[in-house]
Amino acid sequence: MSDTAGALQHPWPDLRMQRAGVGLGMWMFLASEVLFFGGLMVSYAVYRSFNEDAFRIAGAHAQIVYGSINTVILLTSSFTMTVALRAATANVRQATLLFLGITAALGIAFLVCKGLEYREDLKEHLFPGPQFPLSPPATAMFWGFYWAMTGIHAVHLTAGIAVVLVVWTLFKRRVIPVQGSTMEGVAIYWHFVDSVWIVLFPLLYLAGRS
Amino acid sequence: MTNGRQDRRYLWLGPGAAWLILLMLFAVSLGSAYLPLGAGNLAVNLGIAAVMLAVLAAVLMDLRNSVALVRIVAAAGLFWIIIMFALTFSDFLTRHY
Repeated sequence: MSDTAGALQHPWPDLRMQRAGVGLGMWMFLASEVLFFGGLMVSYAVYRSFNEDAFRIAGAHAQIVYGSINTVILLTSSFTMTVALRAATANVRQATLLFLGITAALGIAFLVCKGLEYREDLKEHLFPGPQFPLSPPATAMFWGFYWAMTGIHAVHLTAGIAVVLVVWTLFKRRVIPVQGSTMEGVAIYWHFVDSVWIVLFPLLYLAGRS
Repeated sequence: MTNGRQDRRYLWLGPGAAWLILLMLFAVSLGSAYLPLGAGNLAVNLGIAAVMLAVLAAVLMDLRNSVALVRIVAAAGLFWIIIMFALTFSDFLTRHY
């Protein structure tokens, strides 16, 4: 049995349609995820529209260097993920494994950087509560959004890294063929996590810089 | 040999160009945040973010080559988030108390 034959699953007539089916399913899931993050973003927009100055004061305390490094890391990981997907589609096994591995490593680098950033934030007591140092009081709202949004994003990225590592292992052990439709779903999910960060970055790191 | 090279270039050439564009847009967004544009800062930053999302979706997520059904589902997420923002702000922006 060829690698391609092993990749094709019932009831699909060919791999192209099978990949389109997986892509469609993942996009449906992501449409619901858009509304999940959208609820947070519309709340942020409402509170910011009523507390513009407080959000600018609070935003100026976000760690712009860590945020910028993490943006470059995630954008690069989307590039490596796309190369891995194209390599998988072309059945270039070594390149698939290499770029999938780099993608997972970049995801882990993002989380490490985020951890260092959280440590700096906590040193400055930038967590809404009794020791919160900023005023007016609405600055605490900004930091409430910061922790909720970046925390939920980190959970999504952690899930993405776990899936990438599992898929990498299955490819490596030849349990599933690289040319199947698995990479289609993995890649679309990974890019979605990157997309969320592209929106979060200006909301949480660029407010109050000028 | 030549075909092999062309195959390898196909793997990274398009995504590489999109990656460079995304990095450039990120740099412009970051730099513009330090310009005193007032309310324009947020508009510029979110505008650039929208362009970045479009590049990511079209090239890296390959929506430009997807079947119509996939594009419709992707657009549905965008459609409903627009409805959510529009209905929410139709209330908050029209309050006079």
